[in-house]
Amino acid sequence: MKVLRITPDRCTGCMRCEIACSYMQTETFQPAKSVIRVSSFEAHTSYAPYTCTQCDEAWCMVACPVEAITISAVGAKVVLEDVCVGCKLCTIACPYGTMFYDPATHKATKCNLCGGDPACAEACPTDAIEYVDTEQSDWLGVFAAERGGSQLVKLSGQG
Amino acid sequence: MARTRHVIVGGGTAGLNAATTIRQYDRGASEIYWVSAERPYARMVLPYYLKGDISETHCMTARPARLRELDIEPFFERRAVKLDTQAQVLTLDDETEIIYDDILIATGSSPVRPPIPGADGDGVHSFWTLEQAQGVIRSLHDGCHVAMVGAGFIAFTILNSIIARGAKLTVLEVAPQILPRMIDQDGAALVQQWLQERDVTIRTSAQIAAVEDAEGKKRLRLQDGDDVLADTVIMATGIRTNLEWLEGSGIEINDGILVDEHLRSNIPSVYAAGDIAKGRDLITGQPAVHAIEPTAMEHGRVAGANMAGQLQAYRGSLLMNIVEVLGLEIASFGAWNDPDAEVFSALKPERSAYRKLLWDGDRIIGAMLLGRSNDVWTTNDVGMLKGVVQTGTRLGDWKAYLRDHLFEIKRAYIASGTTARLLPQTVQGSPSVPAAAVAAR
Repeated sequence: MKVLRITPDRCTGCMRCEIACSYMQTETFQPAKSVIRVSSFEAHTSYAPYTCTQCDEAWCMVACPVEAITISAVGAKVVLEDVCVGCKLCTIACPYGTMFYDPATHKATKCNLCGGDPACAEACPTDAIEYVDTEQSDWLGVFAAERGGSQLVKLSGQG
Repeated sequence: MARTRHVIVGGGTAGLNAATTIRQYDRGASEIYWVSAERPYARMVLPYYLKGDISETHCMTARPARLRELDIEPFFERRAVKLDTQAQVLTLDDETEIIYDDILIATGSSPVRPPIPGADGDGVHSFWTLEQAQGVIRSLHDGCHVAMVGAGFIAFTILNSIIARGAKLTVLEVAPQILPRMIDQDGAALVQQWLQERDVTIRTSAQIAAVEDAEGKKRLRLQDGDDVLADTVIMATGIRTNLEWLEGSGIEINDGILVDEHLRSNIPSVYAAGDIAKGRDLITGQPAVHAIEPTAMEHGRVAGANMAGQLQAYRGSLLMNIVEVLGLEIASFGAWNDPDAEVFSALKPERSAYRKLLWDGDRIIGAMLLGRSNDVWTTNDVGMLKGVVQTGTRLGDWKAYLRDHLFEIKRAYIASGTTARLLPQTVQGSPSVPAAAVAAR
């Protein structure tokens, strides 16, 4: 199965992924509606893009009381908009924080891998996001470990 | 050789998840008999049915085609009345006797009303069952005045729907604050102000003495203060576990059926799940009844897995609630009101934003969030807080950072290594199978 591989060290913080994603999701350019988000660290000198890992447990899917989340042909967990009622159980179930809620539509939203052609990977100019055939992994692990020190904490506070 | 017979009593979330999970593991090898006093539906979505967003069909779960696919024998609109745990026989209200190999008790809870005159009169409603929801829908019309007794979580889940139906709402709460079992005083004050600015009348420390008829309307007499006149009264004054029918069964009960990490009661062939079960609280490690949807779901899945022969241990249930009222999100997790915890809190009243983190050392054990739905990070942060609390991740230096930047949970989350701890962590210890794809054979 293909997954989104994230290499934070390549991210320049350009936010093209957020723009592209929001356009794919809503046909508008609204980073707030993007389901991939970039966080800045070290006073904007390093970045980490972050989105749904399409995890095995599928916390969102099992939480839904009306089975509004299913698995697509490319293995993405997808919200069925005509079944979703907007109860937000999935948003508190997902421990990754990658389950979103759109207050305009009153529906849950999440990464659906754009049906197999993810716009974020296409938009990324530095291959910080790639759509590749590999195992899902903890892409942020090394990034997090390197930045766990008090030096980082101080710098991030200035950001 | 006869197939193992599993009996599930209760048609709610816990029962449904147990049934699908048994099938996920045994692929139809066993018999599943499912007893439910009502045709199964999702209680969680009744507020949207009340609002008029969805049809009754949308609320129903486990329809005939699905039951056939799952090879489940339904006993719907039949009530369980007696359990003989020695002979392993369940008796229904029509005197049907069902012999079982093991049984899951998932009969949930029922709404309670205050013991005052008129509490059960015409025009006074509870909002718990589908039938009660239909009663409330029939009673509402544009411009009607609704008095809601109780300002707890359930009351708040139907608040938007009542307003959407054109009603003028007065909320009466006996405690000194609204949402007394969900948020603290500062949070409650913020929510109360938000609602009052949107024409919801709120009275706290309001004890109802009686509900009387008054020329086609209902009059609520208060112990102190002015009476309230309303067209419809909704009692959202709490729930009580449906335990009475188990008296004499030998099952150990203490406000709920005590269950071990496999969701088993003191009697090995009897499991319990959902509102009726008292299992492990993830944060405190102590037995607790968590009458919330996520717990019913997890209990059902773990109980079902164990009934199907998988030795799964349940880590514990995380108390959590989220509700939105007129564009304001309210969420609380874990030990949100632990008096012994170290507390960080930040209030931005001009933005209707409030955050509170409760710590045990450098682990977050509880949290509260309040914020406008339109402020992007309100809903977005709830999942991350859940992840951090669930994994018990130690935040180290990020604790000091959060003390001064309470709204920057995302940075701390990403840099904390929580995601690494989450990837292998599952409730069932194995890759999930979609419920929709589970079939008997």
